Amino acid sequence: MFELICNVLLWLGLLYAYFFNVLEAPIPDRTARNPYTLKPDMWPKAIIILLLICIAINIFNIIRKNRNNPDFKLDVLLSIRARLCIGIALVIAASFVLEPFGYMLTCVLVLFFYGLLLGQTHVIRLAIFSVVITIVLYVVFSVLLSVNLPRGTIPELRNFSLYVESIVSSVKSAIM
Amino acid sequence: MSTWDLFVNGFSVFLDPYTALMVVFAIVVGTIFGALPGVSATMAVALGLPFTYSMAPVPAIVFLVAVYCSSITGGSITAILFKIPGVPSSAPTTFDGYPMAQRGEAGKALGIALGSSAIGGLVSALAMLTLSPQLTQAALSFSPADIFAITFMGLSILTCLDSKNILRTLISGLLGLLLACVGQDPMYAVQRLTFGSGELIAGLEMIPVLIGIFAVTEVLKQTKKRETLKSEEGTASVNTKMPSLKEWWGIKWLLARCSIIGTIIGILPGAGATIASFLCYSSETKLSKHPEKFGTGIIDGVAASETANNAATGGAMVPLLSLGIPGGNAAAVMMSALVLKGVQLGPLLLVNQPEYLSATFASMVVTNILMVVVAIGIAKVFAQILAVPYSYLGPIIIMLAIIGSYATNMSIADVKIMAIAGVIGLIISACHFNSAALILGLVLGVICEGNFSRAYTINRADIIGMFSRPVAGTLMTISIILLVWPIISSLFKKKEA
Repeated sequence: MFELICNVLLWLGLLYAYFFNVLEAPIPDRTARNPYTLKPDMWPKAIIILLLICIAINIFNIIRKNRNNPDFKLDVLLSIRARLCIGIALVIAASFVLEPFGYMLTCVLVLFFYGLLLGQTHVIRLAIFSVVITIVLYVVFSVLLSVNLPRGTIPELRNFSLYVESIVSSVKSAIM
Repeated sequence: MSTWDLFVNGFSVFLDPYTALMVVFAIVVGTIFGALPGVSATMAVALGLPFTYSMAPVPAIVFLVAVYCSSITGGSITAILFKIPGVPSSAPTTFDGYPMAQRGEAGKALGIALGSSAIGGLVSALAMLTLSPQLTQAALSFSPADIFAITFMGLSILTCLDSKNILRTLISGLLGLLLACVGQDPMYAVQRLTFGSGELIAGLEMIPVLIGIFAVTEVLKQTKKRETLKSEEGTASVNTKMPSLKEWWGIKWLLARCSIIGTIIGILPGAGATIASFLCYSSETKLSKHPEKFGTGIIDGVAASETANNAATGGAMVPLLSLGIPGGNAAAVMMSALVLKGVQLGPLLLVNQPEYLSATFASMVVTNILMVVVAIGIAKVFAQILAVPYSYLGPIIIMLAIIGSYATNMSIADVKIMAIAGVIGLIISACHFNSAALILGLVLGVICEGNFSRAYTINRADIIGMFSRPVAGTLMTISIILLVWPIISSLFKKKEA
């Protein structure tokens, strides 16, 4: 049933995209009047039409295969596991808090909470692991590979990142 | 530049101690990533990407090629020791490798796997060096219609990716093509399918999508399972005794066949190491004088799979370097990284930047030789690494995915795209769609549309005229046959049944 719902939603989404969202701006006049150019909406619209046909056949196949299946019910909520939902929420949340929180806090939180989600029961060990890996990744990417990791937009976190960076640069210059 | 000049030029790269050191580091990293279950070769290359951001183009190429080749080999270690293929292309290795390990012949199985991987890799590297210039010369005379026909041929292999789910594979490929349309149109810069989001104007960055679909989806799947990987007793000390010369001599034709087939499959866009290893394993079963012994633990089975999957790595580099078309997912990730480094992939590579081709060749040769020594060492300690619980490994993969996506353009939007791609990957898996087909569509979509559009204008909207050229016409005919044949044959089979 989950598969059927996904296919139906995808079909409806594509239909909406076909009529309303393929182009976000009008085609330039010269292009529109030139009969020998491929208009910017032709290629995606051709793909959407093919997709609508294929997905419609797929929906038909799913219904036909499960016509006599007693387990084919609206059990979407049952098929989605709570742990998986938390995992998805954690990953999406991490992508959204990376900018305000910055790399350091986000990394510690992701390592700690995802570790808990994956069944780690030693909380203190996990907390130490989170801090150590955050430092290791910071050293590898920011110090050794010069990747500017996000500092965060919250003033306190940003100031802390700048403080760490100043320590790193002074250590670097002392070594050089 | 002659082939000999390319040969000498390539090896001179390793006179730089920094580059030589990076290769050893890449082999260690690649072998470990490849051996870790759930970390595919594509993911290994994607995770290795951030290391190359601050490197010059040549060390970056050398590093990524070494990670790519060694990750394919690394997958065989866990396949033999624990029946867990580290990468999908090592799956056929488990059929004979694991029974050999259970009989106490783990050393011989590993020796065969590592040795045949090196042979396959070396043959394909030579093929890459010798075929790339010729293919480049031919490619220089290609028109946009010809290039469209080549990319279309890459797409036509979609129906072969999963012959049991042709419709779903086609849908996945078409979804990939549609995702490639997001952003500005390649000819007139008109915004398409951005749904009003300013972050999508530049289109979908390939690396975050790949990292999301491969790395994040895998961790999310493991989250559902709540598994921790434990080492098995008795595997902590692995005796990697190489097989005898007599045993090697006995499989010489098998090695030759699988090296050639693997290289050819690697060249085909959309195929890759997994298809190569399965195809060679099944063809060797058919060609063998004792097919009944396959699956019971014989060296032929291990050699067939491992020679083919490593040969495919070199094969995948041929269209990538000569035509700018990736032969597989890992090559697609590498393509993104090389373009970021200013490498002009395609027919002009040999003309303008021949040093990059020679660096790739030399890196493949050195990696395939060094890899045997390094992988034996890693196999010995791998039992301990496998003991690391997934509750530590999973979060590290998530953080590497976040950093890898962010570091591409220093963009938070890319991290969000990566997270969404991870969830989409999970839905794709639940709906039995094919993520490899989606990636193939996404990678080839831009090239396909751009060249079709150019050819359409050049031929004044005459689509039949576009394919009247011999190359385009022949390739389109082959593509249509490839595309339609599995559908027709399945219909015939249904009728017969």
